[in-house]
Amino acid sequence: MRGLLLAALVLATAPLYADYTPFYLGLLTEILVFGLFALAYDVLLGHAGVLSLGHSAFLGVAAYTTGILLARYRAPLELSLLAGALGGLLTSLILGVLVLRKRGVYLAMLTLALSQVFYYIVLMWTPVTGGTDGLGNLPILYLSEPLGWRLSKRPVTRYYVIAALIFLAMLAIRHLLHSPLGRVMRAVKANETRAAACGYDTRRIRLAAFAVSGLFSGLAGALLTVVLEFVPIENIHWQMSGAVLIMTLFGGTGTLLGPFVGAGVFIWMRDFLSKYLEYWEVFVGGAFVLIVLFLPDGIVGSLARLVGRRGLAAVGAAEDQLPEPERLAGGGARAAAGDGRLLESRGLTKTFGGLIAVNRVDFQVRTGELRSVIGPNGAGKTTFFNLLTGVLPPSGGSIFFKGADITGLPAHAVSRLGIARSYQVTNIFGDLTVFENVRIAAQSRFTHYRFWGRPDSLAAVNARAEEILGQLGLAPKRHALARELSHGEQRYLEIGIALATDPDFLLLDEPTAGMSPDETQRTAAFVRRLAGHVTIVVVEHDMEVVMGISDRITVLNYGEILAEGTPAEIRENPDVRRVYLRD
Amino acid sequence: MNGCILILVALGLSIVFGLMGIINFAHGIFYMLGAYAGWLTVQLTGSFWLALVAAPAAVGLVGVLVERGVLKRIYGTKNANFAGVLVTYGLAIMIPDLVRMTFGRPGKPFAVPEVLTGSLFRLGAIDVHGYRVFILLVTAVLLPLLWLLLNRTNLGLVIRAGTSDNLMVQLLGINVARTWTITYALGAALAAFGGVITAPLVAVAPEMGGLVLIECFIVTVVGGMGTFLGVVAGGLLIGEALALTGMLYDVLADVVIYLAMALVLLVRPRGLFGQEGMSEE
Repeated sequence: MRGLLLAALVLATAPLYADYTPFYLGLLTEILVFGLFALAYDVLLGHAGVLSLGHSAFLGVAAYTTGILLARYRAPLELSLLAGALGGLLTSLILGVLVLRKRGVYLAMLTLALSQVFYYIVLMWTPVTGGTDGLGNLPILYLSEPLGWRLSKRPVTRYYVIAALIFLAMLAIRHLLHSPLGRVMRAVKANETRAAACGYDTRRIRLAAFAVSGLFSGLAGALLTVVLEFVPIENIHWQMSGAVLIMTLFGGTGTLLGPFVGAGVFIWMRDFLSKYLEYWEVFVGGAFVLIVLFLPDGIVGSLARLVGRRGLAAVGAAEDQLPEPERLAGGGARAAAGDGRLLESRGLTKTFGGLIAVNRVDFQVRTGELRSVIGPNGAGKTTFFNLLTGVLPPSGGSIFFKGADITGLPAHAVSRLGIARSYQVTNIFGDLTVFENVRIAAQSRFTHYRFWGRPDSLAAVNARAEEILGQLGLAPKRHALARELSHGEQRYLEIGIALATDPDFLLLDEPTAGMSPDETQRTAAFVRRLAGHVTIVVVEHDMEVVMGISDRITVLNYGEILAEGTPAEIRENPDVRRVYLRD
Repeated sequence: MNGCILILVALGLSIVFGLMGIINFAHGIFYMLGAYAGWLTVQLTGSFWLALVAAPAAVGLVGVLVERGVLKRIYGTKNANFAGVLVTYGLAIMIPDLVRMTFGRPGKPFAVPEVLTGSLFRLGAIDVHGYRVFILLVTAVLLPLLWLLLNRTNLGLVIRAGTSDNLMVQLLGINVARTWTITYALGAALAAFGGVITAPLVAVAPEMGGLVLIECFIVTVVGGMGTFLGVVAGGLLIGEALALTGMLYDVLADVVIYLAMALVLLVRPRGLFGQEGMSEE
């Protein structure tokens, strides 16, 4: 909020410092437009964790759309601006669908390569786009009432109209980043696998981030055409993608004001440094390298850290304001009715090259049961879990859940059906608060893509998260970052995230791994209590725990079922004894 | 760019990515520096043949400096792969201006060595130039040598093992830091070799590295990142696509390779020869 007030103040008073000279006002306006571009860019980089090098296409397509509509069709200004923004959106969707098949730096490279296609289209389509000469002769100044009239009046009026538009865009982006969808984007950035396991279609979430980024980059491109009254081909050249990346990182990623500061610094370098220094790019490049190496939070991010007030700048810093919880009584997970087969695998097989990790496993779990799966290291237990939860596609066989075939469904679809899991190697959202870890999991049962409103207003989600934190004894730590918890606490949180998705079927992969004997006892008791409400399959190495809590036990060895039965039967089973003694 | 040269340069990009997970934006710069180093060698000694060796060696050394001086600082930090892209991108902005400062803005002419000038024979309607045949021969010799280096030597074994599990290789007590330096230098040297051998076909200019990086990337996407065979096949395919469209319908030459890449991404995202799960992170 302070950031916004500051922004409004700066925007309103900036012309004063610029003495109202048309030159400085023009420069200010350009900085604002590039600031919006950088902010839109940062939606993807800073908030969804996607590095794009293809934003020149979003900006460029929008700038040309607006320019062509104005120059060739004499279209009204409002319509041209809108069409430009939509052009950016459409371009981002096309690019997003293609590149989101990959991740990380590989994806970054793809965005760069594909954005070149748009550059070449502009280059070749000279009759319409003007080719390398750019697109001029824009009749902005006398067409279209009332926006066009305002823009054509005095430079100051023009500045304020554009500044107001950009401020509105900033508000919209801020609102969106604080919405339930914005939270999901952050969760996907923090830990994609876990977000998928919570039921989020991470590729679509990223596509949504692409779309938001494309829309506002498009608005920036459309406005740029109005500001410059010209569309230079540089707008769509890949170096424009580099420029926006530099602006964003100069200012500080993950902040609301950083992109504007970065745009200011960059344009200052471009316009003033280049007057005195012929080879100014040496300094831009050098400064960029130094910032990446030594100032990864950028100018605004570092200043904010120096002042010690994250609220000044960080968009994601607002904490949920929640009452101290009363401990909610009773189990949260609801009991499933009936006692038929909840989950069944038939001939389930997974091979990695020549290695058969899971070999024709026929496995049934009844509703309400607590089943343990044991076996020596390398017996295929975790692979078996990965198959059941859609993390790995099986090489053969099929899986049925509540009677329906779920073979080959992706992890997020499996989660939505009511299957949750915890991981052997702790797999939480380390950069999010403890509360948010559980809340984001609970949210997946209510809304994925809602981009309006505040997550705090989802009362049922908050209640569910509080209930789970209370049950696991993590409530006092709710504001801590998950990565700052002790190992044991992280293991509890691990289970908490799984429970928060309100599953009918819960797979726990070595919940007591690395725990002290005391913690192990508590966890075992907790799992036993849980079993009253939800069907559980647990992989466990601690035989005392296994024998103490299980209804039935399945023994895996070399990817095959060696034995299955009650704890007493398993204890007496000669095959099992042989395998475990040898082990 | 010539398909053969494209293969060599793209291999450099691919092994650096494979081992270090970094998309080396400075790769095009090394290519350009190779051409300049070659030009300088020819100016000083008059020998093209010496330039073929000296340029990769000199740029390989630059690669060592970049890796030790800059990249080393980001290893193990959060988002190291992103930072690798960013830092090398910064270098890619800086260095062309440094070259302009040193050698001036205009390009430098670079003559084809006399023995290789002129047409060697005619193939249908096409003159086959001696220099093009020379490039083909050099590639034919270098590729098997590179394959042997990557597949039959200890260094190659460490590079490939490091590609699949870096931590494990370190735990085995192998000096990974040195392997990374060597790999990065090797990538730089390959780019430089591509630069110096291309120099007689084009003018040596500070801007020449610009598109090489993107073309190399398309090659690795089409062929499959991190696979030797994939890069070779991708290089041939893209090189031929460029040459053919250039001959038949010039206007489309620049676009067709991007469309090829988009098609591969849609139909077979891992690339023609890529392994499942490879290079997805």
